[in-house]
Amino acid sequence: MNFFADVIQPILALLVFPGGLFVLALGLVYLWVNRKLVARLQNRIGPRWFQPVADVVRLFVKEEIIPEDANPALFVALPIVGLAGVLTASLYVPLFGMAAPFSYPGDLIVTVYLLSLLTLCIGLAGANSTGRFSLVGVTRTLTQMFSYEAPFLLALLSPAIIAQTWQISEIIAYADGRWLMFTHPISFVIAIIALMGKLEMPPFDAPEAETEIVAGAMTEYSGRGLALFKLGHGAELVIGVALVTALFMGGTANPLIWLAQTAVMLLVLSLVQVLMARLRIDQTVGLWWRYGSVLAIVQIVILIVWERIVA
Amino acid sequence: MSNAKLATMFRDVFGSLGKKPATELYPFVRTEAPAHLRGHVVWNSETCTGCGLCAKDCPSNALEMIVVDRKAKRFVMRYRLDQCTFCAQCAASCNQDSIALSHEQWELAALTRDGYHFIWGKPDDIAEALAPKSDNGDKPEA
Amino acid sequence: MINGNVKPAEKFVVPIGPQHPALKEPGHFELTIDGETVTAASARLGYAHRGIEKGAESRSYVQTLYMMERVCGICSHIHGTAFSLVVEKLAGVEAPPRAQAIRVLVAELERIHSHLLWVGVGAHEAGFDALFMYSWRDREVVMDILEALTGNRVNYSANVLGGVKCDVTPEAAETILKGVDFLEERARQYLEVVQSDAMFLRRTRGVGTMTREEALTLGVVGPTARASGVTQDLRKDAPYAAYPDFPINVITETAGDLEARFIVRVKETIESCRIIREVLANLPEGELTTRMPRRVKEGEAIVRLEAPRGEVFYYVQSDGTDTAKRVKVRTPTIANMASVLHLSVGHQLADVPMILAGIDPCFSCNDRSVRLTSAHGNDVWTWEKLRQHGIEAYR
Repeated sequence: MNFFADVIQPILALLVFPGGLFVLALGLVYLWVNRKLVARLQNRIGPRWFQPVADVVRLFVKEEIIPEDANPALFVALPIVGLAGVLTASLYVPLFGMAAPFSYPGDLIVTVYLLSLLTLCIGLAGANSTGRFSLVGVTRTLTQMFSYEAPFLLALLSPAIIAQTWQISEIIAYADGRWLMFTHPISFVIAIIALMGKLEMPPFDAPEAETEIVAGAMTEYSGRGLALFKLGHGAELVIGVALVTALFMGGTANPLIWLAQTAVMLLVLSLVQVLMARLRIDQTVGLWWRYGSVLAIVQIVILIVWERIVA
Repeated sequence: MSNAKLATMFRDVFGSLGKKPATELYPFVRTEAPAHLRGHVVWNSETCTGCGLCAKDCPSNALEMIVVDRKAKRFVMRYRLDQCTFCAQCAASCNQDSIALSHEQWELAALTRDGYHFIWGKPDDIAEALAPKSDNGDKPEA
Repeated sequence: MINGNVKPAEKFVVPIGPQHPALKEPGHFELTIDGETVTAASARLGYAHRGIEKGAESRSYVQTLYMMERVCGICSHIHGTAFSLVVEKLAGVEAPPRAQAIRVLVAELERIHSHLLWVGVGAHEAGFDALFMYSWRDREVVMDILEALTGNRVNYSANVLGGVKCDVTPEAAETILKGVDFLEERARQYLEVVQSDAMFLRRTRGVGTMTREEALTLGVVGPTARASGVTQDLRKDAPYAAYPDFPINVITETAGDLEARFIVRVKETIESCRIIREVLANLPEGELTTRMPRRVKEGEAIVRLEAPRGEVFYYVQSDGTDTAKRVKVRTPTIANMASVLHLSVGHQLADVPMILAGIDPCFSCNDRSVRLTSAHGNDVWTWEKLRQHGIEAYR
């Protein structure tokens, strides 16, 4: 048994590269790029490169205030579990132009659900906080989660159908060189928009609408818990973008092309983020269940029919 | 909604990518202050006649006119910058154009309160005005 | 405060304020919600009460002018103008025509400033940060114009009792006209955004609808009323200052929802641009101030002006000295506040900040004396009693 390959390398992959610290750092970088792009699109300067790092460091040194009626163990544990879920998801997604460290049949579904684990943990954390704003935020978070999960999975299903596998590495092997965003345009668009819902970016940021419910489910969090949630959001951004890029934009290539592709994705996300007003939660749900799911199903039907007729 | 369009601000937003940000990089870049900006009060003791209307009309009691000798036109002005609201009523009240608001001195923030109280006038006038008991019978005007 | 055991049958009360990101100034609204729908709303104001009316009783008229200007930051000129007009009325003095025209000029520039600020704030409440950032960027232009003209970006202090302090030179007029051209072009762009942006319309069309009858019953004033079809604008109905010489067009809409309020205010911005051009083209020559007595003869007088938010009402009672006996200010926000409570019921929680923003609230304006009624009955408190209450209640 090769000690390095079987023991050390997986641990390194989990904790340092390409999972763990690398994903967290890349998450902070992507958060900064997003904020900078949004600022430039609004004709302002935007934060300097170390702003997300400074935010996280500052939050870590702040005192954590646990509400009286909250369960302290849950209060402290939920951010950790959420972050752990996101970091685990990073093991199956190809990052930075390299193949994913681990791969097995069905890992596409596992990845998507591990990403949802973060949202679920935020929801539970808000319910645990028992503040009035948190409770309203929890309802919105969970409602939104139920509405975009189906279109997101359906959109990711179309490359899976065409590659006839649920394993990410095999889908990528199929998609290598074939830019599925052109052959599955509807799914691509739905995947991007659903990604914005997952990341709670405007126009789908009703769960953390600053001007209505302060910070939604995360209102009572400060200090370490909030820092972990923020790191989780950054990592979620990286993994979500990487997943959509890998499936629709021609698989993994070298790191430079990957960086360019994700940069373009971030530009598109920031552009949509700036151009749209926030939707109310009932409008979000209506939009997803009326148009999102239907369009995703339409795309799949087209695919299946095409396969039958052409192939 | 027949007239509803998506992304109506697209031209503005996308065009900003090619433009410089609208933010002024103060304090590295300082734009020139307009000529009528109301900043620090400036008092000309030469033309002052000591009527004291500026001090009387000041809404925040930032000015105090101390008359040392009215006939000899010796006046001392006390100015509290930390109470001044920069309204320019003193400049409007003065009939001799002896008091005005500078447009160059407007960066007036500091970390301590020292340096916010000014006493203007000729040195011996000031000494006489601040003397604990004045012999010439003139009371300082409030 | 925070109750962890929220029973299902218990009403769920969401407090908005006094500290809340939706509010720019402190005010307290209690919304009872069921799911996401508001079933009851109540308000508590008075957090920005500073005792200005009381302070006016111990300051001379000249000093009180500047205190009145600081009742509000965004409509400070209209408060200064109102006070100047009412004291001039009491003294039987008429400010020269050039001064009145400059008062109108600054008032219209202030109106543009206030409406642009409000468009940004309203868009921010809806989550439309692009409109927020761009309208506030363009607002810098009008602030620069006002700074060059009067000497300050807010709190212009253009008025003195008997006239104005600042003059308009031909060069200044050129700059103002250029700026106004830019602002009008941007205002037309924002009008198009507000009228046709699909996502923004989802948040504003049909939200907070107030019919004309409701508007008249609730007594709303200003653009909020004009958006519901009430043709009421004091600049036309009871013109003051130089408005008889520069008549305006009253802008109304009939829909009465948030979209109508946005449209009315942006159109008023465009109308103000037109008025400014007219004033600058026909600025009367003459003095800037007129002789104003220090001691104002006994009497009482009122004026009503059209602030950017609606009708502002001033009452001054003089007793022959150089200090006012009583000053009473009634600002438009207090008239419009009841409509917020009435309209919130039945709407979603997410609409309430927008409905509140729709009346253009100015909490510093609307805090006059607050009468606390309690089980012990109404009584008037002395300063000592108020101070003691403040210490006891928050111990």
